[in-house]
Amino acid sequence: MDLPSGTRNYDYATDMAVMRTKTHWAFFIGFLILLFTAPLYLGNYWLGVLNLIGITVISVTGLNILLGYCGQLSIGHAGFMAAGAYTSAILTATYHWPFLLGLLCAGLSAGIIGIIFGLPSVRVKGFYLAITTIAAQFIIIWVINHWTNVTGGFTGMNVPSASIFGFVFKSEASKYFLIMAVTALCIFFTKNLARTKVGRAFIAVRDNDLAAEVMGINLLYYKLLAFFIGCFLAGIAGSLYAHCYTGFLNGENFTLTDSILYIGMVIIGGLGTTIGPIFGVVVIRLLQQGITFMSPLVEKAIPALSSGFTLGLGPMVFGLVIILFLILEPRGLAHRWTLFKAAYRLWPFSY
Amino acid sequence: MAELLQYTITGLAVGMVYALIALGFALIWKSSSVANLALGQLVLISSWFTYGMLVQAKFPFWIGLPLTILFAMFLGWAIERFTLRPLIAQPILALITVTLGIAYFLEGVATFVWPISVAALPRLFPQQPIHIGPAVVSQEYLWAAVISLVLFGALSLFFKYHKMGIAMRATADDQLAVQACAIPVTSVFSVSWIFACVVAAIGGVLVSSIGGITYGLVETGLKSFSVVILGGLDSFIGCMVAGPIIGLCENFGGGYLTPIIGPGIKDIIPFIIIIIVMIIKPYGLFGETRIERI
Repeated sequence: MDLPSGTRNYDYATDMAVMRTKTHWAFFIGFLILLFTAPLYLGNYWLGVLNLIGITVISVTGLNILLGYCGQLSIGHAGFMAAGAYTSAILTATYHWPFLLGLLCAGLSAGIIGIIFGLPSVRVKGFYLAITTIAAQFIIIWVINHWTNVTGGFTGMNVPSASIFGFVFKSEASKYFLIMAVTALCIFFTKNLARTKVGRAFIAVRDNDLAAEVMGINLLYYKLLAFFIGCFLAGIAGSLYAHCYTGFLNGENFTLTDSILYIGMVIIGGLGTTIGPIFGVVVIRLLQQGITFMSPLVEKAIPALSSGFTLGLGPMVFGLVIILFLILEPRGLAHRWTLFKAAYRLWPFSY
Repeated sequence: MAELLQYTITGLAVGMVYALIALGFALIWKSSSVANLALGQLVLISSWFTYGMLVQAKFPFWIGLPLTILFAMFLGWAIERFTLRPLIAQPILALITVTLGIAYFLEGVATFVWPISVAALPRLFPQQPIHIGPAVVSQEYLWAAVISLVLFGALSLFFKYHKMGIAMRATADDQLAVQACAIPVTSVFSVSWIFACVVAAIGGVLVSSIGGITYGLVETGLKSFSVVILGGLDSFIGCMVAGPIIGLCENFGGGYLTPIIGPGIKDIIPFIIIIIVMIIKPYGLFGETRIERI
């Protein structure tokens, strides 16, 4: 396909390998080193930003399995994150379970709730599913806000810091390592999931679910499996968000707007690619940073602006970015990245 | 007994407004099969615009309200022309997500221009409550119901007899055949968006004249999705039947379940109905069951 010249496949193992050339490996290892030494040259503020990026990458990767690979639209992903976050928060804070077990249970509970709300996907799709998941978002948040004696209701609840075998993740750098490790695991898992039987079944369901069923793919099983895996990752992300990012949970942390933003991230990054969610999340989160940095300056320069400028600018920009990407580059940044790689390999010849 | 009557009348009236907003959804879905998830934000922004015209710019009603309608028409035209027309013949996923983008954008615009989070419209309708038997109902609800009914009647007549209405129904039926008959499909789409936005704006003004302008208007828009789902996506009659049902469920539930389950149950009932309908009868009461072929 788009292999560099001189690289050929001699057996199946090389054909299936993710890393094909020495340059590949060099870039990959260089990137990993850069990633895991980041606390050495970044301040706490930027580590916090990277933490949020890592957590969001996990959640959006889950959404990408659901939306990009299996074609099932979910506009309630923040709700599923909330389910995971509260599960692990309640288990560790109220019942004093170890953090790792809480993390796992967060994924499981979010996955099971995802299956419950994914059930209609067997009969309906497209808009109907979108509405069902919006309903899921509202129902989950409502339950959280009104189940006061367990979740703390509107006032919210405090969450203990993550700890593994007595080591408490208190500093920003230690949280960073934990989040990045989990993120790397999740990305590795998704990359390989897409290449297995399950991943191929998902793609078949996405492209035409009737045809897939005729080919012998069990729709019920695979659609619900996609919901489970997607929401499992959302639950993991929610748990990390609770333990390593905010330390305090409230229904306000997981709004419908967040769910929409996650979908925007998947689209900007590129549906159905492993690298896509990473691109999408990094772009949107950095854009957010840029806006929080820029808007006070702009406000100072032009005092005539209304006081809603800072609050309203973000949603306006993100909405525009989503619309523009859908119209101009529906395959997302991942597609541009492949084009760039192809051009780089052939350089200086254009074909 | 008075309680029951009270809930019934309020429920029916609120349901009519939901039905009106839902009609805006069905209009677009029928003609262009685009699912407009920005409905709630359209309601929100047109309510804020009315506030801007009537309170901030201090126009009298007879200037301010027509200006709101004009604004809604412009909004509908612009959304169709600049975001949906480039996406004609794209997969349904793109069409749904682009309306999500629009929703996000409109929300930003609303916070940008009107940073205050809560406001009240000036009184559009007379104040004195009306006594119907033992129940006391504020006039606003009745006016809202009447206006919704009148609009529904007018729209049905439009679809039945007006040339554009017939063209819109034809487009819903078969786009290719309509194009072959030299009906400009793009302008049909445009008109359906304009109508939908106007209907949503009127619904928004009615709701916010009762309950004030808050972010909850977005939720009102989302609640009217339950009307669409229950009634069937492509059915106007469905909207008008399902609207009052949802309104009644919401008010009865809010009235009788709150002591049992706790406050706030009222807001969640439409969403629970969505899930139930989805599992039992996904194409709604009057919707056309789609038969898919490979």
